[in-house]
Amino acid sequence: MRRVRSAGSAHTGLTEWLLQRVTSLYMGGFVIYAIVHFSLSPAHDYAAWKAWFATGYVRIAWALCLASILIHAWVGMRSIYLDYLHPLWLRFSVTLLTALGLLALALWAAQILITAAP
Amino acid sequence: MGKNNKRPVYLNLFKIRLPVGGILSILHRATGAFLVLLLPIALYILQRSLHDPEAYARIAAQAATPVGRVVVLAIVWVFAQHFFSGVRHLLLDIGIGDDKTTARRNAWLAFAASLTVVALTGACL
Repeated sequence: MRRVRSAGSAHTGLTEWLLQRVTSLYMGGFVIYAIVHFSLSPAHDYAAWKAWFATGYVRIAWALCLASILIHAWVGMRSIYLDYLHPLWLRFSVTLLTALGLLALALWAAQILITAAP
Repeated sequence: MGKNNKRPVYLNLFKIRLPVGGILSILHRATGAFLVLLLPIALYILQRSLHDPEAYARIAAQAATPVGRVVVLAIVWVFAQHFFSGVRHLLLDIGIGDDKTTARRNAWLAFAASLTVVALTGACL
C-alpha cells in the first residue's frame, strides 16, 4: 500500500489516481448517455432543451458530471503544473489561481442547475 | 547514479523522435488543458441556452454558420482526442494493450477514432 501511495505524477498517491479514473468513467458514461438520448430525441427547440433539464434525474446527472469535470480538471492541471512549473512561487500561485477558478466554476454550475429547475 | 554527475544528457527536443505513444501522451495533456480553459465559455453557453428561447435560437444560429461549424468540429476533435487517449490509458491500467506493439497500434487507433468522430459529427451538422 505504501508503494501504491507514491504512484501518479502528483506523488500524493492512490486518491488522486483513483479520482481521475472514477471521474473519467462517469463522464464517459454521461457523454454516451447524452449522445444516445439526443440521437433518439433531438432537441430541435428551446422547449425540448428546457424540458430535458426540468427532469430531476437529468439535473442530478449533470451535477455529478460537472463535479467530475472540475475534480478531473483539478487533478489533471495539478499534475501538469508539478511536471512543468519548477519555481515554487510560480507553481504555488498558478495552483492557487486554478483552485479558486475551479471553485468559482463549481458555484456558477450549481447556480445554473438550480435555476434550470422548473 | 549519484556519483556519475557528468553522465551525458541529450535533450534536443528537435532531434528526439517521439514514438506515437509519446505524441499521444503529450496531446492528452494539451487537449486536457485546452478543455479546462474552455470550461467558463461552455458554462456561459449552457447558461444562455437555458435562459430564454431567443438566446437558445441565437446560439443555434451561430453554431450553424460556417465559422460556427468549424469551431464546433474543432472542439469535438479536441474532446474526442482526449476521450480516446483517455480510454487507452484506462485500458493500459487494467493491463490491456500494454505490450509495445499493441500499445503503438492502439495509439494510432486513438487518432483514427477521434478523426472518425469528427467526420461523423461533420456529416450530422
